[in-house]
Amino acid sequence: MQDVFVIGLALFPAANAVRELRLEEMAWRTVRAALDSSRVTRSQVDSLTIGACDELDGRPISSMLMSAPSGGYLTDEIKVTDSGASALAFAHARFLAEETDLGLVVSWCKSSKTDVEKVMRLRGDPFYTRPLDLGAIAADAMFAQAMQSEFGLTTGEVNERVAAAYLRASRNPRGMCHAAIPAREVGESSYDAVPVRTAQRAPLTDGACALVLASSGFLRRNPQCKALARLAGVAWNTDSYRIDSNRLHALSAARAAWSDALGRAGLRNANDFDVIELEAPTGWHEAAFVRAFGIERADTVSPSGGAFAQNPIFCNGLVNAAEAVLQVAGQAGPVQLLRVRRAAAHGCHGLAQQGHVVAVFETPGVAA
Amino acid sequence: MSRAVGVLGTFQSDFRTRDDSRTFVEQAQLAAVGALKDAGMTPDDVDAIVFSLAPTWFMGVADADRWAIDSIFGAGKPMMRVHTGGATGGSAVQAGFNLVRSGMYRSVLVVGAERIAETPDAQEVLNTIFDVFYERDMPLSTNTTVGLWATGYMHRHRVTQEDLAAVAVRARRNAMRNPHAHVKGDVSVADVMASPMISWPLKLFDICPRSSGSAAMVLGNMDMVKKHRSRPAFVTGAASRTTTYWIGDRMTSATDCDFIDFDLAGVVAAASYERAGISDPLRQIQVAEVYDAYTLMQPVQLERLGFCASGMALRLQHEGFWDCEGGAVAVCPSGGTLCTNPIAVSGLVRAIDAANQVMGTAGAMQVPHVKNAVSTAAGGIAQFYNCIVFSNEPRGT
Repeated sequence: MQDVFVIGLALFPAANAVRELRLEEMAWRTVRAALDSSRVTRSQVDSLTIGACDELDGRPISSMLMSAPSGGYLTDEIKVTDSGASALAFAHARFLAEETDLGLVVSWCKSSKTDVEKVMRLRGDPFYTRPLDLGAIAADAMFAQAMQSEFGLTTGEVNERVAAAYLRASRNPRGMCHAAIPAREVGESSYDAVPVRTAQRAPLTDGACALVLASSGFLRRNPQCKALARLAGVAWNTDSYRIDSNRLHALSAARAAWSDALGRAGLRNANDFDVIELEAPTGWHEAAFVRAFGIERADTVSPSGGAFAQNPIFCNGLVNAAEAVLQVAGQAGPVQLLRVRRAAAHGCHGLAQQGHVVAVFETPGVAA
Repeated sequence: MSRAVGVLGTFQSDFRTRDDSRTFVEQAQLAAVGALKDAGMTPDDVDAIVFSLAPTWFMGVADADRWAIDSIFGAGKPMMRVHTGGATGGSAVQAGFNLVRSGMYRSVLVVGAERIAETPDAQEVLNTIFDVFYERDMPLSTNTTVGLWATGYMHRHRVTQEDLAAVAVRARRNAMRNPHAHVKGDVSVADVMASPMISWPLKLFDICPRSSGSAAMVLGNMDMVKKHRSRPAFVTGAASRTTTYWIGDRMTSATDCDFIDFDLAGVVAAASYERAGISDPLRQIQVAEVYDAYTLMQPVQLERLGFCASGMALRLQHEGFWDCEGGAVAVCPSGGTLCTNPIAVSGLVRAIDAANQVMGTAGAMQVPHVKNAVSTAAGGIAQFYNCIVFSNEPRGT
């Protein structure tokens, strides 16, 4: 089975609203930059895995128009609709299957032109969930309530986590560089849905992300290309559709994705990581995932600032993967941690985080 | 260690315009249970799931795959949804093949359902797949664009509307042996010609129906094949390609992929055949289940899949080349997409019908002595294309 490496990547500059470019142009600029950073040409790419959501993009079969700007021309292309991180997971499988040697993974979201809450409400089945008008905000609050009772989370801890995330995010040049917010101010913001307050939620942004993956064989044949990180293992899992107490309390899919990814990478626990980029749309989520994954070292958690740096919903997990790769490669800039040999990237998707993906990256040559 | 991937079980529902007896998730469950039963498996035997679902605009529930997860025994398993428009079902099979072949999973359930008739006018939805600034107002739809395609093909190869009509006649005749087919019957060329004009030169009978129903296929590694299938079909070649969105760019003299002759299909077939060890399709492939949502799409694919030269498929048709009995290749013994088009799973149904032929489980549609069968799927106005070869033995793995 061949090894899989990340040889290049690009993140579209984070913005509240990209008004001067169409979505296709955002994708094209991002993919162009990723290919340039990889020292490969588009025609060398033999596979494209897109992570995109028609409903968020605002048109059916959005990949028709988005495929070419994403590098898809006479390439073997498949689109997955769960999340950007899911696209990475599937692309990894295509490499392990030896069906591709050089592949692009691309995801995006122009949150500013989408009524995200309306899209989330459309996910409700027409019989039981739709009449409740359940959207992402209410679902996240249900998750937070469950975590409050499951782990005894306090508002104080959540406010501190949000303040710390904003502080880290303020140093991330790839993020929005929002001003840091003190924990007190976070706690004084109004409620969106109990117990989640407005400032505890990461604001939505526009963004796009592209990773270039290569097989070990490709790297041997193309010595001008350098591996930034080895993709040591990926796993994903999905929970029940029912947002009931059992599901929310158990965090089954999150735990399964985490343990499977670690197992595939030959790792034991969270202490094996120097960096863990979590997808946490609120401070409640970060507090919950830290406990579910058994993360003991606070300094390893989301040095990028995570969703508080940029929050292009749907492609956040792939953004986390890019940040994790940059850490492993020693190219994370002002948010770089020292001596990063191994990093995890987490992504989640669906109402109340129904699905989870975990990817493990390590310095090329590091053995588990 | 063998990396062969085989088909463990298949199922497809009966297809009709509407199915008010079941919800979407119950349709998906019907297919999942059916495929597992066919394979002699329980839900615990499935390691991962690929959900085949094209635009959800048709049924009005975004990401409806998530709604179905409990009904298809997916909670607690790795699951992802694949969506490449009309090619979705083929891409889903390819994704399942990739996941098993990667060594990550022993078995993968590929499943999906379609309720296209939930929307009063699918063509209105399909108008919104086009560029909002330049094309929607024209108005483009799949019917109008394929009408333009057919016009170009007829002009280039000097074939007639009657030649195309004969494709529908053969499809509906074949479908009479398919218990799952949506439309079927003994119609004549005159009947096709007399059916209402939709988008010149396409008449109603030149165009697939809008079908609701569901389908599933279970794929597994060699250990699972040995355990669950005495006469398996192996996926020996699977490939997809995408070309430019802009149809005009596919119609210039400088194009890499001519639109009228559907060069993309030839590129994909070549990739799939190479993996499967197919060098002479006419001699090595006994059954072709092509994605022919329009009569035009059958001849143009037969030509690109290497069964005959450009512009010859409709002429050879009159000599019985594509007949199930006595033909050179049995083309769409099921009646094909012309008789059943549940968009989300149409490519999956093509793959199921092809695999069943190799496994000898095609019932009244069975063609004798099938060693290789090919299935295809197309999406996004022939922009996405998928080709899968099923064989009675593993190859090149």
